[in-house]
Amino acid sequence: MSFSNKKSALKQGLIRCHHCGCIVQLPVNALHSKHLEPCPRCDGQLHIRLPNSFQRTAALLCSAFILYIPANVFPIMIVTKFGVPEHHTIISGIISLINSGMVPIATLVFIASVLVPLIKMLGLAILLWAVRHRWQRNMRVLTLVYRIIAFVGRWSMLDIFMISILVSIVSSEALEQVLAGPAATAFAGVVVLTMLATNSFDPRLLWDRLRVQ
Amino acid sequence: MKLNGWFCLKLTLTACDVLFMHNNTLNTLAYEACPQCDLLLKSAAVAVGIKAHCPRCGCQLYRPRHYSVERTFALSLTGLILFIPVNLLPLVGILVLGNAQEASLWSGVSTLYAEGLWGVAILVFLSSMAFPFLKISLSLLVSGHLYFDKPNRYLKVWLRTLQHLDEWAMLEVYTLGIIVACVKLASRTELKFGLGLAAFIALLLVIVMLTSSLDEHLFWQRIAALNKQ
Repeated sequence: MSFSNKKSALKQGLIRCHHCGCIVQLPVNALHSKHLEPCPRCDGQLHIRLPNSFQRTAALLCSAFILYIPANVFPIMIVTKFGVPEHHTIISGIISLINSGMVPIATLVFIASVLVPLIKMLGLAILLWAVRHRWQRNMRVLTLVYRIIAFVGRWSMLDIFMISILVSIVSSEALEQVLAGPAATAFAGVVVLTMLATNSFDPRLLWDRLRVQ
Repeated sequence: MKLNGWFCLKLTLTACDVLFMHNNTLNTLAYEACPQCDLLLKSAAVAVGIKAHCPRCGCQLYRPRHYSVERTFALSLTGLILFIPVNLLPLVGILVLGNAQEASLWSGVSTLYAEGLWGVAILVFLSSMAFPFLKISLSLLVSGHLYFDKPNRYLKVWLRTLQHLDEWAMLEVYTLGIIVACVKLASRTELKFGLGLAAFIALLLVIVMLTSSLDEHLFWQRIAALNKQ
């Protein structure tokens, strides 16, 4: 099926309210005005596209990239056994899980706290690149990448929640104590920033740049 | 229409161009736009059990549910009741030298805060306690008003807020966190599962069912109809 002759809603003077999904007719000459009327159905602010989508996503993504370094370098968990502190980074925590024979759980943690943030950041970078350079091919695949990133985003919080349980449960000073390390804040920052970046990216920008034949 | 998987019918809407009626007015209800590629589509009445998709980018547009308002109302009421034991009772515990040490949703937050990681503590508090509570109570408010056909000028604000905080309520992810923490502890000590964990699992199921039963498309239509009365 070919859609090259089909025009987007915007090109026909219609915008979709991104809160309630209803279609609103764009007033004449309103294409470049900053302030649109609120949506007649849900009273939410209408936007032709998400405001400053490219710049916001790029800024949030850069911050996430920077925070990803301390998140992996510093210890995320400090386990003190009989007075001897042992520092665990994200990677060394996974390795110690493998060494103690818990491979399925190690895989789960690896996917949630290493693979998912990397996939998210790389995917968003590719999407931004595609918008910037007006890619004309594989639009469907790129939109699918966006959907996967949006779905997968929240699951990286797994590590943070696990630490919050361990920290409160293993706290007898005599035998063993678990403390959260500085990387926990950095890692939580990576997760929140990438989620915000995904929310501020507008996949319609990809399709807007498609040349109509 | 084609079969998608074993049981779910898939319907792709048809792309179209606008047809203006006389004096440039337009029946906007007859159209739909894809949220992800902005293709203009013809609205279609979709039956329960069928997913409507965008023909160009494949985005799922809507998926109607049986008794959406009634189910959302019942489930959010259940969820609100379950919220009390989940927050009061301990989830898991271990035995150290004869005395039990327990973790609840709140104890994790307060320990992290006491340790000086206030950023992480606030994030955990919001995503495991505040946002799930807001999500359930807002669904209760909206579906309750729709169920009893009572107009309220805040309905639109509530539903919009609900849509935006939906993905920040992360009880499903918290469950995985509990599982991983339990596996890590189980190799060293004996675990004790509290009644709070049973309540937590029940709340998790209720929230997942709540999310899938709330049909935003239908809710917005009902609110618009209610305000017109």
